[in-house]
Amino acid sequence: MFEHADSEIIERVIRQLRKPVAMDSGFDARVMREIAADTEVSRPRLRLGRWPWLAAAALFAALLIAHPWSQRADVRPDYQFVLVAPNAASVALVGDFNDWNPARSPMRATRAGIWATVVPLAPGRYHYAFLVNGVEWRRDPAAPAALDDDFGSPSSVVTVVGKGS
Amino acid sequence: MGIRKVEVSDAELVRRVRGGDIAAYGALVARYRDRLGRYAVHMIGDREDAEEALQDAFVRAYRSLARCDDPGRFGAWLYGILVNRCRTVGARASRRRRLFVRNTESAPDASADADLVDRLGWDDAVNRALARLAPENREAFLLKHVEDLEYEEIARVTGAGISALKMRVKRAREQLQRFLKEAEYV
Repeated sequence: MFEHADSEIIERVIRQLRKPVAMDSGFDARVMREIAADTEVSRPRLRLGRWPWLAAAALFAALLIAHPWSQRADVRPDYQFVLVAPNAASVALVGDFNDWNPARSPMRATRAGIWATVVPLAPGRYHYAFLVNGVEWRRDPAAPAALDDDFGSPSSVVTVVGKGS
Repeated sequence: MGIRKVEVSDAELVRRVRGGDIAAYGALVARYRDRLGRYAVHMIGDREDAEEALQDAFVRAYRSLARCDDPGRFGAWLYGILVNRCRTVGARASRRRRLFVRNTESAPDASADADLVDRLGWDDAVNRALARLAPENREAFLLKHVEDLEYEEIARVTGAGISALKMRVKRAREQLQRFLKEAEYV
């Protein structure tokens, strides 16, 4: 009997909490303004391409090689990202630094399935991943995994240390 | 006969956004705004903070749309982002509230609490009881019973195991009953 009464209390609570909660009337406009401002800067064109089946998995070592060619403080040093994926038809580098836009950092197969690309990075902490064949997200097996990722797909972290830090 | 509204699927809207149609994202915002807003308001307990978390979730989702593996399940993916934003914003709001109470001489003492609740309606009593739950219990209870997600979905969204989630929901139910009884609302 008590159990039944308790259940009724919870049902009443749930009914209360399920009542619609309307957001502020300007909410949509604020979101779209922020997105439009974003687009003005980066012009994201998110295309994932076709959805071919990925052949056998091929994740292995990756290298992160800094090229401190430039000594000028206002020039961001280039970093090379490498993924070994012999069976991949395409690989793109995506991360915080390119708005997770695969079109902005396609990787080139150098030899024997080694994919590489170079991006300039200012000092900071970045999340990134490799998008294989336009559909498969892979974290970098040679870098720390991102533990605080919001999006539910695997990613890695790279920290670029600035001059003097 | 006549005009019929044709519902465009999430997958189709995501496809349009990926093709550069920003307005299609506006349709996704309109579709999910109120439902996700309800979760954020109940989870955080403050409308302004909830709107900030929700706005942040929508913007982050847009920026990372390429990472939405299954566009047909855009809503579930968005829930995952919002749950994380609510954790972050909620923790910050909680610290702010603690600081506020410590710095305010007129903060109500525990003995006055029951009288205060008496003056408030049932709605406020529920909100106050909800706010007293541990965040992880409140999160599981809201996703299960208010947002009506399956445990498997909640596990994906929160990263917690199903048995742990069931325990959290059970604790939340028990505590809500106790808090409302203490407030003499049942």
